[in-house]
Amino acid sequence: MGNQHSSPDQEGLGEGLGNLLGKAPPPRAPSWFAAKTLARLRQEKEEDQKTVSLWMRWRWVWAAGTAAVVAGWILWQKSEPHDPISDRAVFAALDALVEQDEENRWWAGL
Amino acid sequence: MARVASGDEEAFRQLIERHQDRVYGTVVRMMGGAGPEAEEVAQDVFLRVWRSAGTFRGDGKFTTWLMSVTRNQIFTRVGRMKRRADIDAFDPVNAETGESMMENQPERAGLGPSDQLACKELEEAVTAACSQLPDNQRLVVHLRQYEGMEFEEIGQVTGLSLTAVKALMFRARETLKKKLSGYLTASN
Repeated sequence: MGNQHSSPDQEGLGEGLGNLLGKAPPPRAPSWFAAKTLARLRQEKEEDQKTVSLWMRWRWVWAAGTAAVVAGWILWQKSEPHDPISDRAVFAALDALVEQDEENRWWAGL
Repeated sequence: MARVASGDEEAFRQLIERHQDRVYGTVVRMMGGAGPEAEEVAQDVFLRVWRSAGTFRGDGKFTTWLMSVTRNQIFTRVGRMKRRADIDAFDPVNAETGESMMENQPERAGLGPSDQLACKELEEAVTAACSQLPDNQRLVVHLRQYEGMEFEEIGQVTGLSLTAVKALMFRARETLKKKLSGYLTASN
């Protein structure tokens, strides 16, 4: 740091305000900062490796589970009735109903 | 950076040591105080640099890229803190040592006790005035004043146009002038 703008800065804070803020610089990083950051990096790397190795150890279980779910879904899809009733069959049934109704009315003398 | 991108931890340590004051200072100023949370955000910045080192293109300045990463990390954390509404509960004390981390100020060598007290009071006034600025204005002031960045670079960091950056600086200057008017007349 130590790169403060103390020269007259018309577009910036201006000389007076710039000098005033220059007297209150932001704090420096604590001495342990780099060491602590590197320790955290190593810890995160270790955790990543643990996650990967856990996945690798149980990969057959994950694969079998996924395969079972996919197979179940395919079987369920197959068992569903997929032949929709055609329009022709619907209209034929309706026609038969109307015809039956007309016949009933004729016999009833209506 | 090429060495860092290839996974060289020693190069990464050197990079941290070179830029830690810049990043930590920015985080502390933007978050309104030092403490474990600020330290964690500053660490997040460097861990992001480690993971994204391969994406850094050498055509721009490294410090501009670093400050962009810093800004993103700060704004993400501040946004999360505001959502949790625990920004008031921010504790500027080191969780491990219990010491105030505001004491890690640059040394004021050669000053007597009364001057040191005046300096401390001034620092507190400046910190308070800056912390009351909106986030974008505070960042612009910090990057200009303490990092000595040009307005074009600040525009790259903040993702704003040159005119917008200058407008933010103008508004911040007017607010700070009002808030620090007592100190300004005293120093003149």
